[in-house]
Amino acid sequence: MRQKKPLSSYVEMLRTMLAIFFSLLIVFAIILLISEQPLSALADFVLGPLTSVRRFGNVIEAMTPLMFTGLAVIILFKPGLFNLAMEGAFFMGAVAACGAALTFKLPGVLNLAAAMVAAAVAGGLVCLIPGGLKVKCDANELVTSLMLNYICLYVGLWVITTFFYDPTQNSNYSYKFGDAMALPRLIEGTRINAGTVLAFVTVLVIWVLVNKLSFGFKANLVGENKNMADYVGISSGGIIILTQLIGGMLAGFGGAVELFGMYQRFQYSALPGYGWDGVLIAIVARRKVEYVPFAAFFLAYLRIGADIMSRNSDIPFEIVNIIQAVMVLLISATAILSGFKKRLIIREAKEEEEK
Amino acid sequence: MNIWTVILSADFLFTAIRVMTPILFAALACMVFTKGGIDAIGTEGIMLSCALAGPVGGYLTKSAVGGLLVAMATGVILSCIFGYFTLILDTNPVLAGIALNTLSGGLTIFVTYYLTGNKGSTQSLNNPVVPDVEIPVLKSIPVLGEILSGHSILTYVGLAVAAALWVFFWKSACGLRIRAVGENATAAGSVGLNIMKYKYIALVMAGCLAGIGGAYMSMSYVSFFSRDMIAGRGWIGMAAESMGQGTPLGILFSVLLFGMADSLAIRLQMLNLPSQLIQTIPYVVTIAAIAIYSRHRMQQGKKKIG
Repeated sequence: MRQKKPLSSYVEMLRTMLAIFFSLLIVFAIILLISEQPLSALADFVLGPLTSVRRFGNVIEAMTPLMFTGLAVIILFKPGLFNLAMEGAFFMGAVAACGAALTFKLPGVLNLAAAMVAAAVAGGLVCLIPGGLKVKCDANELVTSLMLNYICLYVGLWVITTFFYDPTQNSNYSYKFGDAMALPRLIEGTRINAGTVLAFVTVLVIWVLVNKLSFGFKANLVGENKNMADYVGISSGGIIILTQLIGGMLAGFGGAVELFGMYQRFQYSALPGYGWDGVLIAIVARRKVEYVPFAAFFLAYLRIGADIMSRNSDIPFEIVNIIQAVMVLLISATAILSGFKKRLIIREAKEEEEK
Repeated sequence: MNIWTVILSADFLFTAIRVMTPILFAALACMVFTKGGIDAIGTEGIMLSCALAGPVGGYLTKSAVGGLLVAMATGVILSCIFGYFTLILDTNPVLAGIALNTLSGGLTIFVTYYLTGNKGSTQSLNNPVVPDVEIPVLKSIPVLGEILSGHSILTYVGLAVAAALWVFFWKSACGLRIRAVGENATAAGSVGLNIMKYKYIALVMAGCLAGIGGAYMSMSYVSFFSRDMIAGRGWIGMAAESMGQGTPLGILFSVLLFGMADSLAIRLQMLNLPSQLIQTIPYVVTIAAIAIYSRHRMQQGKKKIG
């Protein structure tokens, strides 16, 4: 028989809810204070994405890359590392996908698949560098991965402008990929495409990997106690390398899906920031793979709402960053409600005794 | 023009010192954080906010000093918020640092938009800037004068602060107590030190330093704030702190190394080389230096155990 979950295990969820509530409250307060037309701005922000099929489609489109980087962060952070190279991995994934798409001359879907594999490999290699340096040299992966992101940006731009630059364009865009490379659109009137389906399939695959295979268990053990893992014969170095590779591949793959789903050429001139968003997704999902789509939907909804609001009012889009920051701070503030959690645990233990 | 005439010139070293200054302040801020046992990852975000606070403060008070003070105050507030979350509320420092960075990225654009009507820069504010100074005697020495004289006042302030911090942390009671609290808070507490008091002293000092570093970017390096202008200098400061092994002299050498890498990148762009690849030089140097330094330390650690 399955045991009933104790109340105390819901405290984490309560904290997440409270954090979301308070961060939204703060932002609503800012809007009310500084906007000339606060009520219409708020209405656009909260309800805007629901007002048309196209706008709701935008939410689903925006969700797709966030799911990939959210998954990437969950896997990258699993063995207790803070490798932030998913930002560069996503970008390099898109660069590699563009390069492969324009270089390979395979027929139809094969070319698309080859480009996506190239993207995943590129992303994996990027995240492998800080992971490898951690294992081999004990170099702080946080610092090396942050530096690596800048290297990815410049090397990626160099690749695009040197080899795939389309001189007929005013900006540093690549050549067009051709229609065969575009992920098929699924719903009329929106840009929702097969990439979203791929994202959900990926969530399923990673869920199995983390929850049903020994890999997930080993990675958790390395994250919780590296010495213990080594002691029972799990190679912690090997697990770290593997997690960083898989995490990077997820981000790189996400870069390819975003590129072929939403664009006809490579157009980024700066890091798109989806990697950083992945951290928020992972935290709101409380590092559980199955919650990633919900977290991604939530952030995508905020983004599209803020975008609609910024076009119709005097509130700039960047207000979303403030929500994101407050949310991360509050959700990860484990001391909040910890006293409450302790009291709950004690009460439950006493009830258990009395039975 | 060949590569050697580019490197072997007084101008090359002058630029190295100029680009080193913000990293020096960042690294010193990281050093104070680390000495107090606080994670230094908030530095990047703090500097970005201060880079905006400086020009805005300068514009409002109509003086460069006022701008610097506002930047420092902003640095202290953010640093204390970071400290409150990581020390009291148990937020993971890495996540708090990322949050602070996201917050600064959004808030600075938000405020810039409200003050100037555009999201890119505060150029239209025409804020006062921190002047450059010629050092009397020194400037008339050939070559050396060309390299060392004529920098921003803040560059010399940074060097003075580095020296002052050495005295503070190794010679003064308060500095030694901060180090004690940072290295082993429980032990320091057991001999009667007020742990939180010394942590907050470190937070305030580091916030001031990060504030000046940020303000240097927008009030001296260039004369206005532009979005995302810190561009990883706070992170490089972290790298320099760990490579410099937490001593002012070590930090000075590390930041000079980064300054030279950056200066090289700037000068090489005059030659007909792919500029994007050259821009990676400082970052590649950082990763290589950290890897070599860490490996060296790891092997030393192994020797001690064996």
